[in-house]
Amino acid sequence: MGASSWQQFKAILHKDLVMEMRTREMITSMGMYALLTMVVYQIALAEAGDSFDVRLVMPGLIWVAFIFMSLLGLNRSFVHETDQGCIDALLLAPIDRPVIFFAKFVGNLIFLLVVELLSLPVFSFLFLQGREGIANPVWMLGVVLLGASIGISGVGTLLATMSVNTSGKDIMLTVVFVPLMYPLLRAAVGATFAVVIGGPASVFMFWSWMAWAAGFDVIMLVAAFGLYEFVIGA
Amino acid sequence: MDSELTYTDALEVSGLTRAFGVRKALDDVSFTLPKGAFLSIFGPNGAGKTTLVKVLTTLLNPSKGTARVCGMDVVRDAVELRSRIGLISHNPLLYADLTAEENLLFFSHLYGVPDPERRVRDLLVNVELDHRRLDVTRTFSRGMLQRLSIARALLHHPDIIFLDEPYSGLDPHAMDILDELIAQIRGEHTLVMISHDLTKGLELCTHALILADGKVVLQQPKTDIDEGLFRETYRATVGMGVA
Repeated sequence: MGASSWQQFKAILHKDLVMEMRTREMITSMGMYALLTMVVYQIALAEAGDSFDVRLVMPGLIWVAFIFMSLLGLNRSFVHETDQGCIDALLLAPIDRPVIFFAKFVGNLIFLLVVELLSLPVFSFLFLQGREGIANPVWMLGVVLLGASIGISGVGTLLATMSVNTSGKDIMLTVVFVPLMYPLLRAAVGATFAVVIGGPASVFMFWSWMAWAAGFDVIMLVAAFGLYEFVIGA
Repeated sequence: MDSELTYTDALEVSGLTRAFGVRKALDDVSFTLPKGAFLSIFGPNGAGKTTLVKVLTTLLNPSKGTARVCGMDVVRDAVELRSRIGLISHNPLLYADLTAEENLLFFSHLYGVPDPERRVRDLLVNVELDHRRLDVTRTFSRGMLQRLSIARALLHHPDIIFLDEPYSGLDPHAMDILDELIAQIRGEHTLVMISHDLTKGLELCTHALILADGKVVLQQPKTDIDEGLFRETYRATVGMGVA
């Protein structure tokens, strides 16, 4: 008897997916936040006039919405584990702690990507209707979403675990998460800008920013992997 | 994993201390418990009972001292030891939005239980929840949750089962069912139960231990216990004002 780490990873991920499909807590809260933020953006820019090229600020607006939306979801990602003391049952199983991290991280990444992918057409409808579309191929936007979301989910999963037993966890997660996300946020906005605006150097700019994002992802995932045993046992 | 690991003492605790900041929840605790025994742990609120169980189940690391459970060190052999431990708590430790069957299958996969579907089916029949196997546990009564919690703890055939106030919040009927289930499992497993109920705890146990202010006040096999003296000692610890 004894499960492999792969089986345990699949079991935790499957459990999280089933529970989210059943409750839709994370996806609904993140989706509603994204939608409402876009409506607020539209009101804020209502008087800007047709001469204002909304594409210049669109990358920043998108990532501000996604960063705060992810905070909302990450705060909820451990609710099921603390409910009825399930975290103890999980920790009591013969499972290496980094396996728990990777399963939770992948689950959060999937939920985040789903909401981001659903949000973008709405964003496009609200802001780009009747205007020039994005300059570069859409798949490049997909690369930015994936690269940035990996970092957001990785760091977010680690911090959400740390804040499980912390009083005022919403504040704690926000205060630590946003400053840590600064380099990734900068890279995501830069790469999105290159995709949206285009120009002769845009492809080079895009890959430069993506290299930055990839570096951030690798460093943060390795750090989270190394720290998780300590964090979850603390 | 060596499933035939031999040991004579299920618990060997020596100089165990666990501090939270400057406060010692456990202070130089030492005792042993033979394999197959039933230990009841008594003590007032804040005596360190739950901390002791958390250390013995590898959920907390000790600050000082050593503890061996089923012959394995709780820190060094933690991952392997976890497959030999079952925990039944006053919290059900079950996912409220999963069905009874999904909960047990999930934990079966974590423990690598062979033929999990069959094992889960057998256990659900055993705890008389087969008819509710497809219902999410959010809809279960406290007694039903506790029975399912027992099934979860037994899934992987543990050598030792910890029961942290398992009777807490149960109605008399649910207590009777829990009595029957404990009677079924006690021959095959070493049991360690935290209880505030002296009568129930003494009735079930083969060994008893009183903790107060993080220290062992009394530890005896049931055969050596003078019940009057034991009750008096317990009352004195409750009066120590450590709660």
